[in-house]
Order: sequence, then C-alpha cells, then structure tokens
Amino acid sequence: MALVKLISLEKIYQQGKIAVPALRGIDMEIESGEFTTIFGPSGSGKTTLLNMIGCLDKSTSGEIIFAGNSINQLSRNELADIRRYNLGFIFQSYNLIPVLTAFENVEFAIRLIDKHSKKDRRDKVMHILNEVGLGDMAYRKPNELSGGQKQRVAVARALIKEPKLVLADEPTANLDSETSEEVLQIMKKMNEELNTTFIFSTHDPQVMEYAKRLVEIKDGRITKDQRRD
Amino acid sequence: MFLPRLVIRNLSRHKRRVFITALIIAFAILVYIMIEGLMMGLTEISFANIINLDSGHLQITDRNYFADRDELPLKNLLTPTREIEEQIEATAGLEAYTRRLDFSVNLNNGIDELPVKGVGIDPGKDPAVFDLEKHLISGRMPTAGSREIIMGARLADLMDFEIGDYGIMLIRTAEQTFNTIDGEIVGLFNTPHPSLNDSTVFIPLSTAQASLNLGDQISHYVLRMEERQRGITAVEDLNPALNDPLRAYSWRSTSENLIYMLELQQIETQIVLAIILTIAAVGIVNTVILSALERMEELGMMKAMGMREKEIVHIFMGEAAGIGLIGGIMGLIMGAIGLYIFNHYGIDMSTLAGGGEITYGFPVSGTIYAGWSIASFVFVFSYGLFVSILASIFPALWAARKDPIKAIYHR
Repeated sequence: MALVKLISLEKIYQQGKIAVPALRGIDMEIESGEFTTIFGPSGSGKTTLLNMIGCLDKSTSGEIIFAGNSINQLSRNELADIRRYNLGFIFQSYNLIPVLTAFENVEFAIRLIDKHSKKDRRDKVMHILNEVGLGDMAYRKPNELSGGQKQRVAVARALIKEPKLVLADEPTANLDSETSEEVLQIMKKMNEELNTTFIFSTHDPQVMEYAKRLVEIKDGRITKDQRRD
Repeated sequence: MFLPRLVIRNLSRHKRRVFITALIIAFAILVYIMIEGLMMGLTEISFANIINLDSGHLQITDRNYFADRDELPLKNLLTPTREIEEQIEATAGLEAYTRRLDFSVNLNNGIDELPVKGVGIDPGKDPAVFDLEKHLISGRMPTAGSREIIMGARLADLMDFEIGDYGIMLIRTAEQTFNTIDGEIVGLFNTPHPSLNDSTVFIPLSTAQASLNLGDQISHYVLRMEERQRGITAVEDLNPALNDPLRAYSWRSTSENLIYMLELQQIETQIVLAIILTIAAVGIVNTVILSALERMEELGMMKAMGMREKEIVHIFMGEAAGIGLIGGIMGLIMGAIGLYIFNHYGIDMSTLAGGGEITYGFPVSGTIYAGWSIASFVFVFSYGLFVSILASIFPALWAARKDPIKAIYHR
C-alpha cells in the first residue's frame, strides 16, 4: 500500500477575481522508503504540492490518502495530529527557535509526542545530534551555528520522532555545495537506516543526483516521473 | 515543563519591551496599593476618631431622636432610669458609659456669632468613655454643676477667645424660649476630629439641662466597650431588652455617612485601578502582537510540527502571565516601599488641603498614616495577573490561527 496517494489533485488560488491554478490534476503514489525529488521551474507548483502532502494546505478538488486514510475532510486539529505523529519538515530557512539550544530545538519535536522518559529523550536527542555531527554543539543556540549546522539541526528535528514521511522544501538552497553534500548524505543515510520516506522539492541538480525517483512538474502538472536504481 | 521553559526564554528575547510592559502593570499596582493604603489609613483613623471623640462604641437613644439627630432636636429625648442603666451595666464587654445631651447653640463673643453644637457632658464619667481630656492643649475639663465650658483651640481662635474669657451661648429651650449661658472658658483642645475643633462646645450636663429646661433628660447614653467589634454585637444583646422606642446603635450606624463615603471611595479606587490596568492590557496586547509578528516563521514551523492552536495560545498566554507576574512582583515591592515611606513619614492632611483644614469630609485632621492588608496585596496581584492573561487571549488566538503556510513563508 502506498504511503501517500494523490488522486486528481487540484489547487486553485483566488487572487482577487482571478483564479490562479497551481495544481491541475496530480495523480501520484509514493511508497514507503522512497527518496523522491520533485523538481521544476519556479511557480510550477512544487511547494504547493509539498504543502498538500504535508497536510498544511487543503486542495480545491481531488483526494489525498495518507497511510490508507483520506485526509480531505479532517479538521485543523486532526491535520495537526497527523503532522505531529507522522510528518517531519525541513525548510530552506531552517526555522529553528532562536531562544532554544540545538538540543532543545530537537527535543521540542519529541516533546510533542511525549512518549519517552526524560533519560530516553535525552539519549535519543544526543544520538541524532551525533548522527548529524553536532554532538559537541548540542548546547549552542542557533545564532552560534553556521547555516549548514542549522540545517543539520533542522534535519535532526525532523527525524527525531521517526516520522513516516519527511518533506524538505529546497533544503539546500541556502547552503554551499560542500555543506549541501553533507546534509544530503545525512538524509540519505537516514533513509537507508530508518527507511524514512523523503520528498524533496528543489532546483538543485546536486539534490536530484541523490534521488531514487525524480518527478518533474510544470504548470501544475506532472510531466516526468522517473525511478532510478 | 517544556512550554514554561520556552515561555521564559521567549520573555528574555526583548527584555526592555517586557520590562516596560511589566512596569505599567507595576505602576497600576503601586497606585492601587497607595490609594488603598491611604483609604485604609483614613478609614481606621476616621473610625477611631468617631469612636473616641464622638459616638463611642455604642449609643442608646430614642429611635425617633436617632432619625433626626443631625438637627439636634430637643424632642424625643430620654429620661435616664435605673432600669436602663442596669441593662447597660449588664452588657457583656462594657468598660464604661456616660450620658450626653446634644443641643444647638449660637456662640457669641460680643461682636460675632457662630452656630455651633453644644454637648452636655458628665465630667465624672465622660473621660472614661471619650478621649477629649487627652487632647486638651491648655486649661482643664469643666467641673460638674459649673458654668465652665471647653472648646476647640481653632474655634477659640476664630472667635478671639482665650482661657478665662466668657462665651455667650444663645440657646433655645424645649419650649422654644430663648436663654443664654455665660460659659467661662476653662480649657482648649485640639483633637484629630476637625468638626470637634471647629464647631463644638462642651459644658457640664446638669448646666445644659437646667438652661434648656429639660429636667434630667438626655439625648443619649454612650457606651465604651472592651473592643470595637463588641460595639456591633452588643446591639443584638441590648435591643431585645430595651423598651420601645429606645434602641441601641453601634458606631457603624452612627457613622453611616462615613461608611457610604468610604464605599464611594472604594469604587473610585477600583475605577482608577481598572483604567491603569486597561492601559497595561493595551501594552500586553501590543507585546503579544509584536512577538507574534516577529516569530511568524517559528509559529508556522510549530504548526507544521503538529502543535495545536490551543498549545500556541498557551505559549502566548504564558508569556503574558509572565509579564503580569514580573509586573505584579515589581508592583508589590514598589507598593511595599511606598507604604513603608507613607507610614514612616505620614501625610499631613493640611498639606493635601494646601495648608487649610479641608478634610474632604473625613473626620480626620493632622497627620495620617497608611493601612495595609495581605488581602489587598493578594487581590491586586491576582487582578493584575488576570488582566494580563485576559488581554493576551485574543492576540494569541489571532497568532495561533495564522495559516501555517503564510506563516512559514512570511518573508
């Protein structure tokens, strides 16, 4: 069974009296453990699609089935619960909480699902920070970290709760190529070790190189869907 | 414990803004504590002055006389009997009692005439009930059966009287005939009760009764009890035993005008508090909205991570509560310091009145000191905290209901 199934998904934004279609009938299935990259020009609908899959936005028509359940009719709180327990997000601008340390930023995600003892939580956070190479920077605040280090904290935060799906919206856009490589290696490793499903949206050819599946989107339609070994 | 930690950290982001908002709350609390302290001090001193110099703890009088007592009538007076005095003496908690006769007088110095209140007192018993003798600044109390009088130094000054002078007291008897008493001034007093200083003349009871053709009638008995509260409870013991139309009235009944005025003052104090805290609430609303705008991307991320709107509201409410708490503590400390200074130096009522003797209707003159109570501190602290939290609800809801996508891509 596909982890995510999109059926005739459409999204139309209303800008005053003008209807602007962002997605024009997307049909797609994403299996567990896939490392998928959605690419395409600016304004093609990549981010809109990612937001739909991430339960952050509602479609105008069509259906999204996540882990076998349709999410179209869910309330805001029910959607929040799906994000809380099943999804991880990585954004271009990191969006770390500046008053919390790297440890606390990662801990924050696991606190929301609150099923771990204090010791377990601490061990888990330190483990993932070590995995992303920030074990010795756990108690630094975001303003004491470089861009790459911040994105690694964001990756750790997205992965700490072992979500079924991680959505990354242009995660390397603010990073130099060397740092991008490091961050992508980490995500690749997590994908292989934990079988976490990743969906990226990007323009970055470096990211595309890592993808097992490439989905091209233009003008709100899928124009290419290619799996790679 | 994670959200409280986040709340505390968030408060540390803009210390100056938090401090200024908290300072407004602190100022509101300070103002309330000072006004409340002043009112409590005024209340305490007012009641003490009324009890010690005017009404005693309890009075027994004809109920019809009591209704008209401010007009100083010479009708519905009471004739002392052994039976009434036995009932008085049987009252639990009684320390002393005396008889008094209030009447209307025009005081004349040969040139000017001034309407004042005459009070016939029993020189033997009165000092056990009232503190008048303690406030004599020159001379002595009048002796029983004499035509000696005492008056406030201020009244004497106004009428150009000195000790040894004779004050002509023009009175109207119960039969509406005119009479005069040439009273020799033997003492001058200065009490903290302004109307006593300004407009009251004391004379031996028997002299007053004889001059007013009242026989041995008096206007009321005055009782001094062991404690103030006993003056209120003894009314319930005495009233069933007294024959109608006699009634017992506690110091609270005789001070009803003052109590009414104090209640109005209390409302005024609450209004002042409400106005200042409303300003503080605007500060809180402003702080929460600014915080939300500055942290829009974080809020979007929190929502993306699955935080419910309720939890985000709790963060902002927690921050507002934190500001309220800081402001509350600052306000209590400032208030405590203010009250300490107030109590150390006191406030001269004449200073408030620009050097005059205006007392804003309170039976108080001279220096007053503040009162305070734990309940008042707890109330204003809790109220400040409540207003802070209340003020944050709508901006917090506004922030929590932001579309997560718009929040994340805010810039």
